[in-house]
Amino acid sequence: MRFNQFAIVCLGLSGLSSAALANNAELIERGKYLATAADCVACHTTPEGKPFAGGVEFKLPFGSLYSPNITPDKETGIGSWSDEDFVSALHSGVGKDGKHYYPAFPYTSYTLMPEDEVLAIKAYLSSLDPINQAPPENTLSFPFNQRWGMVFWNMLFLDDGRFEPEPEQSEQWNRGAYLVQGPGHCAECHTPRNLFQALDSGEPLAGNLIQGWQAYNISSDETHGIGAWSEAELVNYMSKGYAPGKGVAGGPMAEVVNKSLRHLEETDLTAIATYLLSTEPQQAGIARPETKQLSMPTEMGLGSNLFAGACASCHRWDGKGNQSPVASLMGLKTVNDPAATNLLGILLTGHAGQEQQIDQRMPRFAEGYSDPELAAVSSFVLQHFGQSGGSVSAGDVAAKRGNTGH
Amino acid sequence: MNLLSINGEQHQLDVPDDMPLLWVLRDVLGLTGTKFGCGIAQCGACTVHLDGEAVRSCVLPVSAVAGKAIVTIEAIAENAVGAKVQQAWLEHEVVQCGYCQSGQIMSATALLQYKPSPSDAEIDAGMAGNICRCGTYTRIRAAIKDIGQA
Repeated sequence: MRFNQFAIVCLGLSGLSSAALANNAELIERGKYLATAADCVACHTTPEGKPFAGGVEFKLPFGSLYSPNITPDKETGIGSWSDEDFVSALHSGVGKDGKHYYPAFPYTSYTLMPEDEVLAIKAYLSSLDPINQAPPENTLSFPFNQRWGMVFWNMLFLDDGRFEPEPEQSEQWNRGAYLVQGPGHCAECHTPRNLFQALDSGEPLAGNLIQGWQAYNISSDETHGIGAWSEAELVNYMSKGYAPGKGVAGGPMAEVVNKSLRHLEETDLTAIATYLLSTEPQQAGIARPETKQLSMPTEMGLGSNLFAGACASCHRWDGKGNQSPVASLMGLKTVNDPAATNLLGILLTGHAGQEQQIDQRMPRFAEGYSDPELAAVSSFVLQHFGQSGGSVSAGDVAAKRGNTGH
Repeated sequence: MNLLSINGEQHQLDVPDDMPLLWVLRDVLGLTGTKFGCGIAQCGACTVHLDGEAVRSCVLPVSAVAGKAIVTIEAIAENAVGAKVQQAWLEHEVVQCGYCQSGQIMSATALLQYKPSPSDAEIDAGMAGNICRCGTYTRIRAAIKDIGQA
């Protein structure tokens, strides 16, 4: 608002051009916020690469896709794109020259964004330095390399239309619904996919296994979803990456928190929490464990010995977290998943980088420990802290090594 | 500004919130009895007590300990159990090079406060987070057992 007034003053004092500049700066700033909410940078930046220059590999059962360069480079990026080209990409999944995108690009979510917000993102991307870098060629096998096939997929699964607020719901609820379903594209990871790799509308937000990690059920179910979390806990999770006794963002979700959620305004995070707590409860996926009084074991084996040496210092035998409540294992789905998907993921890759406080970091255990050792400590954690009765074999650990990428 | 209670004394410290407690102890206050080993809570050399619990001070940001009672090796003799541990350590000649021993004594004291007569398995479970390059483990266990049976 104040910015608008400033723009009007500029208009009066020095003519149209500074007003246009001020408006443009405001538009770019808005686009930057929306691009952050949409987490564009996550899929369009390689670990060592320049932001938005693309080239990130998406491994699919039928080959690999690489994300494109979305910097304003005219040759390899989107520098020569018109507004219509960009809107068509985000709303219909059809890029410049009629090229169809694959739904790894979440246009089925971005289609909910109004045109002016899409163009704000374009204005922001256009303000960046152009980077001349073409992504590697996709390696999809026939018939999946036939982009025109997406015409039929879109007929079945793309609901091309903007977000419609529900009038009987509050403004805050509608804002949350928009952020979750539109730019935030939460369902892309948290909703199961059908045979055609489309989101299963029968079980929204019921959780899904994606890129070797469990994207847990985030519907309002108390046991399987986030129904038992308070609004404040959800906001804390999104802004700091943890909610003691409820969840810690690990793997790809830690990246979502770091690159997207923690930069959003608290009012928006509260809106997201309000909406998620009101969603249809889905009784699917991994259940939260019961919390119980635990103490150190009376007999030691390989798993408990390893836990004693490498884990108990921070996590404690009672799972309450020693250094800080961040290290709490109580109540986490990760210790109640019989397949130990995220448990093995976190043991092999560690947790959190330099952007996190020191008590939120966990070292990786991939190199110093053998497969039988990691299997034993994982089995111990599942049996000590959870009720799933799960047990992990050395073969499970071996299979998991190399399958922990985003 | 962080107000810390260390060995019964209050310290008003102007240090960054994310500074690990170990840095404050050694570099700001000169309490160098607590050692730096690995920096990732895997070796136990930096163990201190926080409200009576053994914690790794290398991964504990100073902002997380404000208002809690911190005790380091320098003051452990003032704790009845701690004094017994030090005495038993001397009797059993536990120490070899000594680098890990302040952490060992802090962990042993915390264990004995929680379990006054620990079994072998409980000693293993309670002490396994403290590693010793010289391999003094058998003497550590014997010293703890002695106190437990006294």
